[in-house]
Amino acid sequence: MKTVSLGASRPSAVSFRMPTRDNLVPIRVDIEVDGQRYRDAFTWNPRDPDSEIISFAKRTAKDLKLPATFVPPMLQSIQGQLAEFRSYEGQEMQLKEKLCLSRSVANLNGAVNLQIDLRVNNTVIRDQFLWDIGNLDSDPEEFARTLCDDLNIADPEVGPAIAVSIREQLYQIASQSVSIMREKVSKKRRAPEFSSNSKAVNNAVDLFKYFGSKGSVIRKRKEWYLYEPVIDVIRNEEAGGDGKEELNSSSRPNKRLDEVKEASLQSL
Amino acid sequence: MSPPAAATSGDAPQSSPRELYTIPASSGWFRWDAIHDTERQALPEFFGGAGGAGFGTATRNPRIYREYRDFIIGKYREDPTRRLTFTEVRRALAGDVTLLRKLFAFLDASGLINFSATTSSARPARQQQEAGVVVEAPVGLQVTPRPPASYFAEEKKGGGAESGFRLPPLTSYNDVFWPGRRLYVGSAVKTARMGSLKRWRLLVNQTTDGKMNQQVVKESSSQSTEVVDGMQIDVKEDSADKSADEHPTKRRRLFSSVDATTSLMEQLALLTTATSPDVLAAAADAATKVLGNENPQARKAFRRSEREYKNKAFSSNHVQKSDHKVGDQDTEMQGQTFTDKKQDKNVIATTAYQVRAAVATAIGVAAARAKMLADQEEREMELLMASIIETLLKKIQYKIKHFEELEAIMDQEYTAIQEIKGSLINDGLTSWGKHFRLEFPYREMKCLCSCS
Repeated sequence: MKTVSLGASRPSAVSFRMPTRDNLVPIRVDIEVDGQRYRDAFTWNPRDPDSEIISFAKRTAKDLKLPATFVPPMLQSIQGQLAEFRSYEGQEMQLKEKLCLSRSVANLNGAVNLQIDLRVNNTVIRDQFLWDIGNLDSDPEEFARTLCDDLNIADPEVGPAIAVSIREQLYQIASQSVSIMREKVSKKRRAPEFSSNSKAVNNAVDLFKYFGSKGSVIRKRKEWYLYEPVIDVIRNEEAGGDGKEELNSSSRPNKRLDEVKEASLQSL
Repeated sequence: MSPPAAATSGDAPQSSPRELYTIPASSGWFRWDAIHDTERQALPEFFGGAGGAGFGTATRNPRIYREYRDFIIGKYREDPTRRLTFTEVRRALAGDVTLLRKLFAFLDASGLINFSATTSSARPARQQQEAGVVVEAPVGLQVTPRPPASYFAEEKKGGGAESGFRLPPLTSYNDVFWPGRRLYVGSAVKTARMGSLKRWRLLVNQTTDGKMNQQVVKESSSQSTEVVDGMQIDVKEDSADKSADEHPTKRRRLFSSVDATTSLMEQLALLTTATSPDVLAAAADAATKVLGNENPQARKAFRRSEREYKNKAFSSNHVQKSDHKVGDQDTEMQGQTFTDKKQDKNVIATTAYQVRAAVATAIGVAAARAKMLADQEEREMELLMASIIETLLKKIQYKIKHFEELEAIMDQEYTAIQEIKGSLINDGLTSWGKHFRLEFPYREMKCLCSCS
């Protein structure tokens, strides 16, 4: 078994938090009351007192002109997600992994491939890039802002949606790493690794290709298209019934998106 | 002056002429073949943490850093006029995007990339900033040493032979933006020791924007305008006289002032006369104002001189003329003013202040003029670019026409060949027919013979 030790300078385990500079939790709310639907995604600081949630919910309902019946389920949803986040706190999570080519380890030095696949209002954006979950100085919001600036995306809702999507994926990975640590400590059984093992192996091998002593961090030109953002703008009439924000994270099937995209292509 | 290695692409083979890049002086520390301490301090992640002494990890080490850095800089230099964006670069680089963004931001901020990009789409703040530092811009720029003449000759030969299109010389390419010239202005700003460069910048911007005419000046600084009223009139008369006298073309004036042997003050004076009177007036106004703010005595002196001016206009006229004759006749003029105003003890101070104000005025005007020239050059560049594109388009159109003609010729030839082919086949058929007709009877006869 060939083992390469990586990231010696970094602490291998830290107590659970969002692996970003600001410890902000992604919150997704999707509630339906009396045939009216409210879907939203935003970030929340878990250090804020819970009394803020009720005022936030009231305020949101008022701003969006939603009936007051929306407030209790909104409150419940946010509180539930925060409670889940807090249940992880105090436990240790692993940020650094050793790269074992023969074993399935998802990340090299914590670098994971994040995928963005979103539709916000009339903009469809897809992207993928490497994100180092061990880099506690990262800033998804800043990254999303740069992306929108560089691509001249005018819709102000796209940036935050991208940031929330990144945070959700990071949150998922972080919470999984907590459970890995927990199981390693209890030594009951071998820890299940991140989502899909075969993909993870490929990922690790890929990374070794880039960062190994003979590799190059500059990707081959023919691979560039895989890692660059793709943007589609859908016209209003094709956007479908709900004009509200619709967020598709990578975990969701992409069929709908493809259909929408095809429709937009056909119309051209 | 920078060593050539800093400004040229060191990776290029030595035999071919090196590509020249003008880079900001602030990034003069950069070397292709080394990593500077600035880089280590700004991005400690790559160098094993805060100290920047270690070797980092597998994904973050000096080797990886240099690969990233060289790629990004190389990418930018493919087209230095275009603003390189992070999103564009990141697809080609494997690595943590957070770290890459930090690296990109560092390169951007330290002037290693995007330093001469013009097509910044949505960065109004940056543009404003650029406008704000117009006066200092020449000082901040670093110019690579002039390559040997053969380099230019080669280039010219190649360009001329290829297109037969000769570019007219730009107004200021030779004379204003040449290092020697610029350094004069730069050092002049320093020697004047005005201490209020900000105000100058403001003034120059305003004047060149055309927003600030004399009226505006008067309104905005009514107090000090009174003080310098006499001075303004003087300057106006003077410059009007001069321009009425000769009306020299811009180029001639520039060349006359290019001569490095003449003194700085003379050059400034020449530049001063080259601008319009209201720019001059505004500059003079600001000069006195700044002086007044710096030193209350100066204000007093100006007020006094104004009174004197009212009494005997010509005496201060001499002083104002110093604006244009400071150079060689400096001492002579001083003597004159001395004799003119010997009666008052404070006059010496007044004169000194006035000279200072005059110098400041000249510098301000020179700066304003430099900006105007820069603007003009930009316009000229645009025009030239437009004409180049036009010629290229024409060329392409000619080519298309040519090809169309060729196609027509080909078509004609094709039909001709087809005809020839047809006629050949016909000929062949007829000849075969003849052959058969000739042969068959013979065979028949043969047959008959053999049968019998």
